[in-house]
Amino acid sequence: MAAYLIRRLWQMVPTLFGVVLLVFVLFRYFGGDPAEILGGLNATPEQIDAIRRQLGLNEPWWVQLGIFIQQIVSFDWGKSWATNESVAQLFATRLPATLTVMLPILVLETLLAIPFAMYVAHRRGSLTDRVIMVVTTVALSISFLVYIIVGQYVFGFQLGWFPVQGWSDSLWTNLTVYAPLPVLLALLVGLAPQTRLYRSFFLDEIGQDYVRTARAKGLGEQAVMLRHVLRNAMIPILTNIGLLLPGIFVGSFLIEVFFSIPGLGREALLAVNRSDYPVIQALTIYVAVLTMVINLLTDLLYKWVDPRVVLK
Amino acid sequence: MSAVLAEAPAWAPVSEGVWRAAWRRLRGDRVGMVCLAVVAAFFAMILLSALGALASGWQREVGVPNAPPTFVGPRAAEATGAIDSPKGPNADLSDVDPLAPRYKEWDERAAQFRTVEFAKLQTLPLGADRLGRDVLAKAIKGTEISVFVGVMAALVATLIGTLFGAFAGFFGGRAGDLLEWLYNVFTSIPGILLIFAFAAVFGRGIGTVVLILGFTGWTGIYRLVRAEFMKHAVRDYVRAAQAIGASAASRMFRHILPNVSHVLLVQLSILTVGFIKAEVILSYLGLGVPVDQMSWGTMLAEAQSELLLGHWWQLAAATLFMASFVTAFSLLTDALRDALDPKLRGLE
Amino acid sequence: MRSTPSSADLNEQRTAAPKLFAPPRGAGPQGLGGYMSELLLSIQDLHVAFRMGKVNGVAQRAEAVGRGADGVSFDIPENCTLALVGESGSGKSVTAMSIVNLLPDNAERAGHILYRGQDLLQVDPARMRSLRGREIACVFQDPMSSLNPVLPIGRQLCEPLRTHLNMNPREALERAEALLAEVGMPEPKRRMDAYPHELSGGQQQRVMIAMALACEPKLLIADEPTTALDVTIQRQILELLATLKARHRMSLLFISHDLGVVGEIADQVVVMRQGRVREQGPVAQIFAAPRDAYTRALLACRPALTGPPPARLMVIDEHIAAQGSPAAAERTAKDADAPVILEVHALAKSFWLRQGLFGKREFKAVQGVSFRLRRGHTLGVVGESGSGKTTMGLTLLRLHEPTHGEVLLDGRNLTSLGAHERQTMRRRIQIVFQNPYASLNPRFTIGQTLVEPMAIHGIGADLAEREQRARELLRKVGLEPGAFARYPHEFSGGQRQRVAIARCLTLQPEVLVLDEAVSALDVSVQAQVLNLLRDLQDELGLAYVFISHDLGVVRFISDEVLVMKDGRVVEQASAEQILAAPTQDYTRKLLAAVPRGWQASVTS
Repeated sequence: MAAYLIRRLWQMVPTLFGVVLLVFVLFRYFGGDPAEILGGLNATPEQIDAIRRQLGLNEPWWVQLGIFIQQIVSFDWGKSWATNESVAQLFATRLPATLTVMLPILVLETLLAIPFAMYVAHRRGSLTDRVIMVVTTVALSISFLVYIIVGQYVFGFQLGWFPVQGWSDSLWTNLTVYAPLPVLLALLVGLAPQTRLYRSFFLDEIGQDYVRTARAKGLGEQAVMLRHVLRNAMIPILTNIGLLLPGIFVGSFLIEVFFSIPGLGREALLAVNRSDYPVIQALTIYVAVLTMVINLLTDLLYKWVDPRVVLK
Repeated sequence: MSAVLAEAPAWAPVSEGVWRAAWRRLRGDRVGMVCLAVVAAFFAMILLSALGALASGWQREVGVPNAPPTFVGPRAAEATGAIDSPKGPNADLSDVDPLAPRYKEWDERAAQFRTVEFAKLQTLPLGADRLGRDVLAKAIKGTEISVFVGVMAALVATLIGTLFGAFAGFFGGRAGDLLEWLYNVFTSIPGILLIFAFAAVFGRGIGTVVLILGFTGWTGIYRLVRAEFMKHAVRDYVRAAQAIGASAASRMFRHILPNVSHVLLVQLSILTVGFIKAEVILSYLGLGVPVDQMSWGTMLAEAQSELLLGHWWQLAAATLFMASFVTAFSLLTDALRDALDPKLRGLE
Repeated sequence: MRSTPSSADLNEQRTAAPKLFAPPRGAGPQGLGGYMSELLLSIQDLHVAFRMGKVNGVAQRAEAVGRGADGVSFDIPENCTLALVGESGSGKSVTAMSIVNLLPDNAERAGHILYRGQDLLQVDPARMRSLRGREIACVFQDPMSSLNPVLPIGRQLCEPLRTHLNMNPREALERAEALLAEVGMPEPKRRMDAYPHELSGGQQQRVMIAMALACEPKLLIADEPTTALDVTIQRQILELLATLKARHRMSLLFISHDLGVVGEIADQVVVMRQGRVREQGPVAQIFAAPRDAYTRALLACRPALTGPPPARLMVIDEHIAAQGSPAAAERTAKDADAPVILEVHALAKSFWLRQGLFGKREFKAVQGVSFRLRRGHTLGVVGESGSGKTTMGLTLLRLHEPTHGEVLLDGRNLTSLGAHERQTMRRRIQIVFQNPYASLNPRFTIGQTLVEPMAIHGIGADLAEREQRARELLRKVGLEPGAFARYPHEFSGGQRQRVAIARCLTLQPEVLVLDEAVSALDVSVQAQVLNLLRDLQDELGLAYVFISHDLGVVRFISDEVLVMKDGRVVEQASAEQILAAPTQDYTRKLLAAVPRGWQASVTS
């Protein structure tokens, strides 16, 4: 086990380096000149030059790369070009808002999709199954945007059940007053693809030989589904959750934009629109690190769930 | 000589390859054929629009701002203002007006030009947006652009993913490791963030969007093609090809690739749908198609503010077109998957 | 092992044509009576068909059991082993699965299956579930996939105990451990927490048998339980089944395609072909005096281990047509001084597996194999799974790169060839693989498959000439020239192997490696392909390296035999010598493990 962990951590290094390289190349060589962006529209050439010297943009590229890496390691990203707020501070304040909305969505989606998918898979080919498949297909064909626009209009504006927008400082208020509408809309949209995916996992398992053996032993359908099929289907389901987890840290930027939730997703969008490079770079790299760590944890979890796995 | 088989097997009149057999099965699937017709109709419409035969004048302001759809009926005339305009002829100011001597000359000159005055329509088939542009024309144009971007991006992603996946799966070893590293780098960054990063750097434009989506979306196909090539590379028919002396390229692209092509086609369709939806969101955010082009996303962006004023038709039109196409395309993909691999379908 | 057969009387009654909707016998309101109480299970006029979707609005059905008006009927008395024999497609598995209704959803059953007087086709699902595992239990063919991979076997064993016998967890665990001991599992207590993938194939099958026995069923259905196992393990499992059946006084419905196995273990035999029962009766009668032409042919087609080897094997259709015992031609002796075409010295192949943090472990698949093969002769290579015989075959063609040793083809060392010379080498030595369903590219027509090697090596001046040659080769291997434009999925396993052989012949090779080339085929088809191989060898002077696990087949076709175990050659001698007087213990064990059929169990 220790050998496996060391090898995995060792393998993360080149990947991380690749991410750093990608971001560096992307922004330094394809992006606009940061000095001009910082200087603004009316900057004189001398001002731009001064900024360049300050940012070290006249140095050879490997020195710049070195400075870049040093910044990452020391968590010093400087300040956002747009708001002059320290980037680290930005992350610290925005992350809780994102998680307050995204964690309930992930948890509820999974908890609802699993029983639903199991039910539908068990009745494969029946009218219920086919109707639900068609309904989910149609539901998936409508853009998320439409759901939010209409949802906000109907539930917030017309019916007044939820506030249209807003956020507060208290976690409790956020969870009970401001989060429900976005969570509800995201659930409506996210449940369809999750159900379809989990249904295919369940169908794969139901077709296996060990299900025939279980039936041959005289077990009832409920025992077969819950004790045998579910246990095996949890393996791909866990993989899927592991793939979704890194996404919740960025949050659904659409939700945050529409509902004016001060989260990381909205920050990312604002940064893109304002060409605020430090924020985008920092976000990209830290989320990449987070993704790699989550992947490692998911793989370790595998060993507990699937006894056939040998971690080498 | 050894025994020729005593019973001659009953062979079908025409030998069926995979594609012909799939087409025969698809023809028997009623839902699939309906969806095929719908998608074909959409593509015909897109072709006409691209050639300029349809909806070429979508930018012209042919209607009254926010004109309602025809089936709803024209809007009641609104009060024009609080101030009553005076009646009667205008006062004569020609003695103080410095331009007065030249009016006659200008009137004669103006009479030489023909101006076309056309009355702005009070209602349009699907209504008008806030500038008075025909929503139906915009929807058709939007279909062309959104679907074009989706399909092209899917093709780019499939091409990249297939090439990388084939090499990684077939050869393994160092080349495989390098490609795996590239894959890890791209998948460590969540998709939207990667798109944002590219978009921040490259800006707007149709070609840009196609490239961005293609360069960030190849990872799924790579994984699939790599797994398929790894599976097929150890199969006996590939070993047999190696035994008779076929080259590596021949084994990869003449032998294995046709056996994977049906999976690729289904993935291509799924990617197309995903990219269309991604493009809509990008255009909504202002990161997608440029201002002088129309897409479903830009329509939705305008629709949001219109909805608050009670003008729902642009939202409805965009949603209707998008939902019809994507639903038909998705159901066609499902039917295609069932036709290509009937084992997956439950036997009725 | 054998009960008094009363089946002679039953046979008489059954030859009368059964009516389709006749009411079941012995199910009157008073229940059972007379000799019917001996019958555990009575299948009467069973028809099973599968719904295959709709073509032009008309529902299509594929008949699996019973054809037209003829249903399948036979009886299983108490304390009796009934073997259901047939080739693939005969409907034997479907018949067995329809007893316990474990068929796919699109199956339709008709007829009567009487279990102790109750018609299982009319019974409600709850009652069926209470019968499954309790009174009628099943053991399936592939134990690895039939066991749940994520649950320890102890828990899987306890399930039927807790469901049917209402035991509490502690009692169930104790009984499960006792069951494991009974089926001969070493260290049963430790194995209770093991997962299926940690056990060998034979041990997994023992677990399946233990699960089936848990509630002391009256009828055990074993669907090809030993087909996936090695010959020595097969013998152990067969002996285990016989012992358990006698001890628990239950009936055993044994499904198999192997008459040798059937002859040793069965009391009654039912022979099926294409959904119909061809013959049934006591095992002695079936083996000594078979009445149906198909049964006779089936018995005659097996390559025997005793007696003089025939020049050709009997093929079922020829046998049925000839209607009599054939005159077995004596085979012509081979030229013992033919030139040596293939010489192998100390061939070795190792694979490297990763171990620990940075270490590697060597897995020696083949170690030190040497032999000589003359033109026109056949070398048989025999071994169980894991013996390295397939790896050795692939290494001869450099499909695996050898780690040590030399392979000399007509004097030239194959292991040291450059790229261009390797290409010309490919023309001289070719290979036919085991799985006919995987060795032809499903997207190529037969014609394309045959033309490709010629195109690569530049044989034939143009496409037309190559196609001409391809059609000639198709004729030579016994296929219609119309096969040229067809796709592989339209052909049976035997036909595909012929195409594979034709593909090798396009290059006009001198040595052919046959890697278990007939193992995946039915017995009758096997005979055809083996005859074809002998004919081609006589005509073209080919040398064969014939790899197989089936000693009977190897004996028929080989001149010299190599026995391999764990990558090494255990014994090497002429075919007759190996079979008549083996010198090594392992060879003797292999020979003893081969099922001989009914004659053997009576005489031994």
